[in-house]
Amino acid sequence: MSEVLAKAITKATTKATTTAPTRPRRQLIASRLVPYLLLQVLIVIVTILGLRLLQPSDPDDFAVSDFSAREDGLTRPVTLPHFTSSRYSLADPPFYAGAFSFRRDDAAAGWSVYLPRFSNAVEVAVNGVVVLDSRRDANANRPDRNTPEIAAIPASLLRDGSNEITVRLFVWGPLKGFLDTVYVGPDVALRPAYETRTLLFVTLPVVFSAWQSILAVILAIMWLMRRREPVYGVLATAMVLGVVQAFAPPPVPPAATSRLAAVLLASAPIESALVVMFGVLFFGWRWPRYGTLVFAPGIVVFVVGLIGGPPLPRILFLVLGIPTVGLCLFVMACVTATAVVRRQDAASFMIGCAVTIVLVCWIKDMLTVFEIVSNERIFVSRLSYSAMLVAIGAGLTWRFARALNQVDSFAGQLVTRVREAEERLKASFAREEERARAAALANERTRLMRDLHDGLGGQLVSIVALSERGHEGATITDAARAALKDLRLVIDSMDDIGGDLMLALGSWRERASAQLRPHDITLDWRVATPQGLPLHPELRPWHVIQIVRILDEAVTNAVKHAQARRIAVTIDTLDAGQGPYGVISVTDDGQGFAPNENNEAGRNGQTARGLRNMRSRAARCGAALDLSSDASGTRVRLQLPQRFPDSDAAAG
Amino acid sequence: MTEQGETGEIITILLVEDDAPTCWRLQDALVKAGYEVRSAGTLGEARAALAGGAPRVLLTDLRLPDGHGIELIREMRQRFPDTEIMVISALGDEESVISAITVGATGYLLKDAFPTDIATTVRDLVAGHSPISASIARFIVRRTQGAAQNSAEPPPGPVLNTAKLTPREIDILWGIAKGFSYAEIASHLGLSKQTVPGHIKNIYRKLEVHTRSEAVFEAVQQGLIKL
Repeated sequence: MSEVLAKAITKATTKATTTAPTRPRRQLIASRLVPYLLLQVLIVIVTILGLRLLQPSDPDDFAVSDFSAREDGLTRPVTLPHFTSSRYSLADPPFYAGAFSFRRDDAAAGWSVYLPRFSNAVEVAVNGVVVLDSRRDANANRPDRNTPEIAAIPASLLRDGSNEITVRLFVWGPLKGFLDTVYVGPDVALRPAYETRTLLFVTLPVVFSAWQSILAVILAIMWLMRRREPVYGVLATAMVLGVVQAFAPPPVPPAATSRLAAVLLASAPIESALVVMFGVLFFGWRWPRYGTLVFAPGIVVFVVGLIGGPPLPRILFLVLGIPTVGLCLFVMACVTATAVVRRQDAASFMIGCAVTIVLVCWIKDMLTVFEIVSNERIFVSRLSYSAMLVAIGAGLTWRFARALNQVDSFAGQLVTRVREAEERLKASFAREEERARAAALANERTRLMRDLHDGLGGQLVSIVALSERGHEGATITDAARAALKDLRLVIDSMDDIGGDLMLALGSWRERASAQLRPHDITLDWRVATPQGLPLHPELRPWHVIQIVRILDEAVTNAVKHAQARRIAVTIDTLDAGQGPYGVISVTDDGQGFAPNENNEAGRNGQTARGLRNMRSRAARCGAALDLSSDASGTRVRLQLPQRFPDSDAAAG
Repeated sequence: MTEQGETGEIITILLVEDDAPTCWRLQDALVKAGYEVRSAGTLGEARAALAGGAPRVLLTDLRLPDGHGIELIREMRQRFPDTEIMVISALGDEESVISAITVGATGYLLKDAFPTDIATTVRDLVAGHSPISASIARFIVRRTQGAAQNSAEPPPGPVLNTAKLTPREIDILWGIAKGFSYAEIASHLGLSKQTVPGHIKNIYRKLEVHTRSEAVFEAVQQGLIKL
């Protein structure tokens, strides 16, 4: 009763939720999205604070800020850090000249010149001698790499008092040239600052790039093993692009292969587009056809870079590539936010947070480019991209572990189910076997009972009848003896003879000869083949009873009606080409009868019934009975089947 | 007409059978054949009769009102080793006949046998021929095979030590089980016809567990008792 009620209630509630799904759903979205957005705000704040902390401090005691700059033929005093105008030719680079003072007393340790930040390349000279040319260091020339430079000043160049320092700033557009404060002082004082910057902006990116390359290999293997999941292939491609971009030295003008720089320039927008594609596929959505448009800017930059020389690709990169990266980041942020609302799993949370960090850094870089915030031109997008890599690696690992757990539990369930099924099968098999055995036993019992009724029962009844009529002597004796004989026959047939009919015939021979001895009839027993009859593994007790009864009947007929003096039993094994079969013949030398005329016209009714019985018994166990009789005797030939039938087909 | 043994003396028979008509029938057949027959209906009567001396032949039923014929056979075999012992059986079933053989019987007689056959069987036994039926031969051979195959499930029925039987004796048993006559068995195995009955007597003797200690030994041999 209560169960029915409970069912009704659950039905009603489910109905309610299905008919008015909008409000709870909206609530659900809000309840999930708001905390997520708050978390992202927190991450934005943390990122901004982190970037502040990242800002390395420089030894201000040795700063040289006051320079005179000669640019486009115009000389004017400037204070570093200083932006030059954007230019596209390396001829006539901006030239900075300044002075620093050196006291020989301080010169216990060597002095160095340290440039924390410049773009794109510098050539520094002290007292007219070049001590540093960054153009030789390909990586130092990449504006996104924030590479610092330090160079020792040979002691011989330094003069006591004022020294001249000049910097030539090589700028290739479209970004403006930038020169941060120059530091000149004892190497011991400058090097820690240089090393901090190197660690942050050179070593750390290499570590992340190595991590990225490992990720690329893992993803590529995953994709190779699971071709049906293109998501891994997409991400592997993105990672490969990133690795190439990080490690391939950019061909710097005036290098001969400078056009290949387009490849590196195009890598960033293409990589970000691939990451978006990965995000969409990773969270289980279909990649929309128009989505391919995200790749267009990258491809345009690439194609233009191959056709046209610099500075066109760089301008295109600035105009098309960088906004594409931003757009992709924004799309990715939306995708992950949706995934977080829908799935609420760790992978989407992690990737979402990473995207937020990268997006914040990208916005900061944009503000830097447009000189809205001054941070000495340190670009952090690339560095923050590593957060994404970590998130992706962790997300994949998390998902992989979860899949393994699922596989494990599934395998466990499978094992349990198989075991259950096995047990059920075993039980049903045992039941079936039990039933079959019971059925076989019942059949066998039925047959035995019928045999006991036919033989022993009838004989005992006739004993009773005979003794009631007061008949004395031979008749009762015969009936009782026949009953005993029949009992022996039935008991004997129950014995397991292992399919060897000869063993049953052996016992029968004893009984038959005992029966014939008082009548002075000879039993001539002849086994034609030494091994006797073929083995019949399918032989059952009821087959044995039928065969022995047929032989008994033949012998009884010979004794009672034919007045035979000699009965010959021949056991033979024949083979007509289809396998061996046994033949048992009972031949007597009596006066015979004429079975062909008419069975009723035989010697008497009993004989006729006896013959009919013999035939039906033979038919029941698949044997062929052949009877021939004339004045010189009777011959009963029983041809055994090659295989005894399982069922008693002719039983009626 | 008096049946006499080799020494010429009259053959005495102790017949132990509790069913009066059966007892009369057997006694008639044996007396007609010339034997001297004393009869007993119980184990007690039989023991009392034995006090007067050993008969040449003991014929005993197994199920008696005051005990089992097996006890009588065992006592007889110990006290009078020269007496021939025969079991009287209604159906000649293997289990009762074989258990009698293991305590010393060397033959069996069917209660419904024809009078002439009864006399012949006793005469043959005194002459040293033990009767054996196809089903008993089959039973013994089956035990031999069961022991040889070391099957986990021993066939049901009395324990039988067939280890002492020789291959020749087993061949003879097979022949009997398959209904071959002594003459046929002898010709198949290249023996003289006269030696086959002797082999059978030997088989009976080998199946007998002679003494109490030997019974324990046999039981240990067959792993029935663990010491």
